[in-house]
Amino acid sequence: MLRLEGIRFAYAPEALPYRFDMVAQPGEISAVMGASGAGKSTLLDLIAGFLLPQAGSMTLDGVDLLPLQPEDRPVSLLFQSNTLFEHLSAENNVALGLPRPTRRKDAGPLIAAALAEVGLAGIGKQRAATLSGGQKQRVALARTLLRNKPVLLLDEPFSALDDETRVAARDLVRNLTRAHDWTTILVSHHTEDVQALATCRYRIAAGVLLPEGNTAA
Amino acid sequence: MPTPWPRSNSQPKVLPPRPLRLLGGAVIAMAVALLVVLVLWSIASAAYGQPETAAPLPDVAHLLRMSAIQAALSTVLSLLVGTALAWSLNRLRFAGRNLVIALFASAIVTPGLIVAFGLLTVWGRSGWINAIANVLFHTSIDTPIFGLGGILAAHVILDAAFAARILLARLDAIPSTRLKTGQGLALTPAKRFATIDWPALRGTMPGLAAIIFLLAFTSFPIVLLLGGGPANQTLEVAIYSAVRLDFNLHGAVILALAQIGFCSIIILAASAFAPIPSTLGPSAGQRWADRGFAKAVQWTVLLACIIGFALPLLAVLAGGFSSNLPALFARPSFPSALATSLAIGTLSALLTLVLALGLGSARAATLRPLARIGLAAPAYAYLAVPAVVLALGFFLLVRTMGIEPATAGPAVVILGNALLSLPFAIATLGPPLEAVASGQGKLIRSLGLSGWQQFVRVEWPLLGREIGVVLALAFCFSLGDLGVISFFGTQDFSTLPLLLVRALGAYRTDDAAIVAAVMLVITVAAFTALPQFFARWSDAQA
Repeated sequence: MLRLEGIRFAYAPEALPYRFDMVAQPGEISAVMGASGAGKSTLLDLIAGFLLPQAGSMTLDGVDLLPLQPEDRPVSLLFQSNTLFEHLSAENNVALGLPRPTRRKDAGPLIAAALAEVGLAGIGKQRAATLSGGQKQRVALARTLLRNKPVLLLDEPFSALDDETRVAARDLVRNLTRAHDWTTILVSHHTEDVQALATCRYRIAAGVLLPEGNTAA
Repeated sequence: MPTPWPRSNSQPKVLPPRPLRLLGGAVIAMAVALLVVLVLWSIASAAYGQPETAAPLPDVAHLLRMSAIQAALSTVLSLLVGTALAWSLNRLRFAGRNLVIALFASAIVTPGLIVAFGLLTVWGRSGWINAIANVLFHTSIDTPIFGLGGILAAHVILDAAFAARILLARLDAIPSTRLKTGQGLALTPAKRFATIDWPALRGTMPGLAAIIFLLAFTSFPIVLLLGGGPANQTLEVAIYSAVRLDFNLHGAVILALAQIGFCSIIILAASAFAPIPSTLGPSAGQRWADRGFAKAVQWTVLLACIIGFALPLLAVLAGGFSSNLPALFARPSFPSALATSLAIGTLSALLTLVLALGLGSARAATLRPLARIGLAAPAYAYLAVPAVVLALGFFLLVRTMGIEPATAGPAVVILGNALLSLPFAIATLGPPLEAVASGQGKLIRSLGLSGWQQFVRVEWPLLGREIGVVLALAFCFSLGDLGVISFFGTQDFSTLPLLLVRALGAYRTDDAAIVAAVMLVITVAAFTALPQFFARWSDAQA
């Protein structure tokens, strides 16, 4: 269980600090909504460790996350864009999620299995730059599978996708979250995405993260 | 109780922590800075310590005036020709256009010595033009190839081609919407240039002018070969003459200090202008050709420039390969100089790459302004220290240390050439390394990639072409260097440029032609092949 208690953060001393309190359960998707600039990405940056709060605590199953550097946090990230290294092939992008050290002969089957799980078997050799938006997000999810981190942070991951791809991508995220018991936090300003995925909803208003009530997605 | 402010940095920590990169960059920056200081100290202390010789003190004011006049004229002419050439290339489409653009792009690495020699082959007293005039009209033409005319011609050939390549990139990057608007308004070619082209070019002009001025001001082999006597001598040549011909170290040191001072002023002035883009961006793709008279002018400009640029180089190749190559190979001096040039070029290029990667990746790993300045400034200082002055500094330094210049020669030539290439290498590798750090830093951090993995998986596949460009630039600069080797060369330690100058001095023009042709072939091959080879190699890793 991911728990944020009394997290306070401001970009400048004179600014009103953001206040974040939330609890997110494994196997569930918690959605955070809010207008542009409300602080949704700031919340994800705090959980990922790119920002450190001025006050509060953040734990995952009782383990304090705040002392951990971004690269050491048990977190995978999926952005709206810049999700992949465009100059690398799909399989080399996925390979970056392999636990280290992984022997070369073991890597191939692991990568192939991850790509198959997200429905992209056979595209491993393709350059990321040549993939569609939906395929890129799937490749990033395949890499997330290999990283096998318990928390998945999604920052507007479906915004650049067309309607059909969007539905498929949402289904994939929901299924993977359940199958791997991830604690998934989705940041979005698309009500449709939130309604389709979220078990638990929050909204950031005036810098404060407020629960909106639970649903059965 | 409220937590005291600030518990953390409020700026996102998107750059991965790279302490080893920062340490490596700091060590390189300090070593490079120490060398600058030692070179300057050697020159400055020699100014007081060297005994005055019987040789008269050089007329610094005259040399400065002469250097500045030829550099100013070279700059104006190069910018005029370069603008006309870029304008023509932007409008015209023809088979082999990319090859022609690549030919002009290679001007940056074509040794001045080769161009000067090519001009002599075409326009010299027994050159092609006179041979044709003799056959057709039974008379000779007295071309002013020695003196200011020859110097300007050589500089314009090299620098106009360089300017054209930069300006063409600016014209190609004009947004297609702007071109469509102009086309819709049926602008005349002149009006189009004034309202669309010139605004795109003018921001680049001051910076470009400063670079061309600096290149012409510090030009050494061209003035040495085509200067035609003391009247057209520049500071660079005067420093060389003072040390190697007059043995007047005191005079050389005074000239070197004047040279450093003047170059520093130019660089400081240039730094106020917009920088020249180090990478050539993609074309906007919109095509709008001129017609009628304008098109005729464009073809005339293009053909004149191709002839002007290519003819001296063709003359070098024709002269070289019609001479007795096996005979020259049979003499030990040529294979030895060839091997030395290749070895020095290779080692110097590798050293440049290591230094530039070390400094560039360390700079990209930090956001602290002071650290970023400290990591780049020492390398850029070498822009203010031209090759001949650097060589003089090293020459004085090794003498002070009690080392025979001949003994230190190979190491100093490799190091000197690498340091002179370093500003260009950092300008090439720095921006893409910064782009990886700022654009992909968050992803790299979130994936927990180590510095080595970042290089192997992210930077190397992305930077292959730039790494090839740096190696090619440094190799070609080193291959064509006459400034550093002229101070440290001996009978046993010689490079191709030195061999060429010695052959010309001994009136062995056939030998000089072969050496020039071989240098040109190696330069073109390296400049064409290395970036492509490294681009493909790194691409295969992606």
